[in-house]
Amino acid sequence: MIQEVYTLTIRELKKWLSRRGTFIVSLITPLFWLGLFGKSLNFASMFTPTNLPPQYSSLLSQYVDQQLLNLFGTTNYFTYLASGMLVVFGFFQSVFGGTNLVFEKRLGYLNRLLMTPTPRSGIFLSKVFGTLVRILFYETVLILIAYGLGFKFKPGISALNIILAGIAIILVAIGFVSIFAAIAFNVDNVEIMFAIVNLINLPLMFASSALFPLKQMPSWLQEIAKFNPITYAADIVRHNLIGTPVSNYILSWIILLVISVALFIIGMFVSINAMERS
Amino acid sequence: MKTMETVIEVKNLTKKYGDFVAVDHINFTINKGEVFSLLGPNGAGKTTTIGMLSTVKKPTEGDAFILGHSIVKQKYQVRKLIGVSPQDLTADDELTGYENVLIMAKLFGYRGKEAEDRSKWALEFMDLWDSAFKKVREYSGGMRRRLEVAMSIVHNPAVVFLDEPTVGLDVQSRRHIWELIRDLKKNGTTVLLTTHYMEEAEELSDRVAIIDHGKIIAMGTPDELKAKIKGDRIYVTLKGQDHMDEIIRKINDILPNSTNKVDGQILIKTESSSEFLPQLIKILSDYEVIELKVVKPNLEEVFLELTGKGLREDEGGFDRFKYMRITRGARR
Repeated sequence: MIQEVYTLTIRELKKWLSRRGTFIVSLITPLFWLGLFGKSLNFASMFTPTNLPPQYSSLLSQYVDQQLLNLFGTTNYFTYLASGMLVVFGFFQSVFGGTNLVFEKRLGYLNRLLMTPTPRSGIFLSKVFGTLVRILFYETVLILIAYGLGFKFKPGISALNIILAGIAIILVAIGFVSIFAAIAFNVDNVEIMFAIVNLINLPLMFASSALFPLKQMPSWLQEIAKFNPITYAADIVRHNLIGTPVSNYILSWIILLVISVALFIIGMFVSINAMERS
Repeated sequence: MKTMETVIEVKNLTKKYGDFVAVDHINFTINKGEVFSLLGPNGAGKTTTIGMLSTVKKPTEGDAFILGHSIVKQKYQVRKLIGVSPQDLTADDELTGYENVLIMAKLFGYRGKEAEDRSKWALEFMDLWDSAFKKVREYSGGMRRRLEVAMSIVHNPAVVFLDEPTVGLDVQSRRHIWELIRDLKKNGTTVLLTTHYMEEAEELSDRVAIIDHGKIIAMGTPDELKAKIKGDRIYVTLKGQDHMDEIIRKINDILPNSTNKVDGQILIKTESSSEFLPQLIKILSDYEVIELKVVKPNLEEVFLELTGKGLREDEGGFDRFKYMRITRGARR
């Protein structure tokens, strides 16, 4: 079982490495988000007074900073958004990791795998592992780029903080790659698959605290966001990287863990079922 | 004669999709070292049969045994014993041929040096070692087909299933694959081949099962099957259809019940064409003949005799994606 999972995971990664183009293309979307929203939506500069007397000017910027701190937990919206984008990017990559199974089905590769003694769970797990390795690599690149663009880590950040943030992102990714692999095992048509991806992707991103704090949202959206693992992962990542306070840190971990494990188990069960049926 | 070991035993194997019966209670056995062909038009149920024997499709009824292991109840054991080369080109074109074969070796439980040696052996066997370290996307159509076979023999399976191994290939590549399949047989491997090319079945098989609409309608050695049509076939194509019935009547007067109309042609069945031709030419001299064709017994004629239609007819719906998949890279 271990040898099979390892072999198939290496295959995924070799394929990924041989497509150098996708590496850059995959990073374009998050970079646009960071540049466009993170840098353009600069709330602090929006309220920078230009023709006030100096004593009012400093008073006003103190007030603006106070408001931003209340809202985002940091005076730097770019840092707020970038930490959320780390989670969203992990989420997007995990969705596409599951989705490319539809192509492997169409090309007959999956069928060939199913005719070998490879355990069905191994086929599913190699998909999950391959996607996770890719995500960890991209996340590292992304945080380095964000740092270059002015991302501010919290003072006294430790290696443990970074590892915990990474684990939160991995948990989100495990949950979604499992679910989307399960969907892909049951969908034969590429267009239908992408319709499903689009249907789920953007709403899940917006109905979370990745881009804006929950308390800024209408109450019905807040209710939806409370069931979204991206919300909890974003809160945990922010808490660890930039020091934003979280109302209940331990509870956030528990909820994230429960949702991810549940999605993983459901995804694996549905996937294996789909492989055995026909 | 020494007793032969049965490698595959198929019993009443049936697959239904709703009301449509894709495979209808078929029975056959294949002995060790035999090349056995399922010959039939597209849509006859050949690929569905392979799908069931390779454990990815569940039979609606019946069972089959690979070296005594049930394809329904002992899937895992069966998978270890078989090597399947599907109709689709499944190799990863972003990887090299060697990497593709090595993945298969490892999935069948070989490790380290042994996996590498097995892969080298399979690629050498299929005449691909020279291109083993090229990306598969640089392979020609024939090389890709050979790679598919290499991927399915790397673990030295008890039986190899080859599903339309030469579809979409030119004559030269096809002959090359035929040679390699003969080598496989020499190597002692049992082969189950599906094809809709009668030359292929005739060239390679020890025994052939002719399959149509999910049923096996005849089975035997190519010679036994050809013996079902006694003698030769003569096809006459006339300019216009006006005198057809008249000519058929005249010929039937000489050779009773020998002649009828098939697809706008006159078909004459005769024990010996060389004896009958002079008489036929005398009859036809009064009419305008476009083509006169004498066909020696072959499996195509057997199929025509049994089903009333040619092997290439009945192609069914055209699936563009499937066509692309089968011929990927085959046009270079």
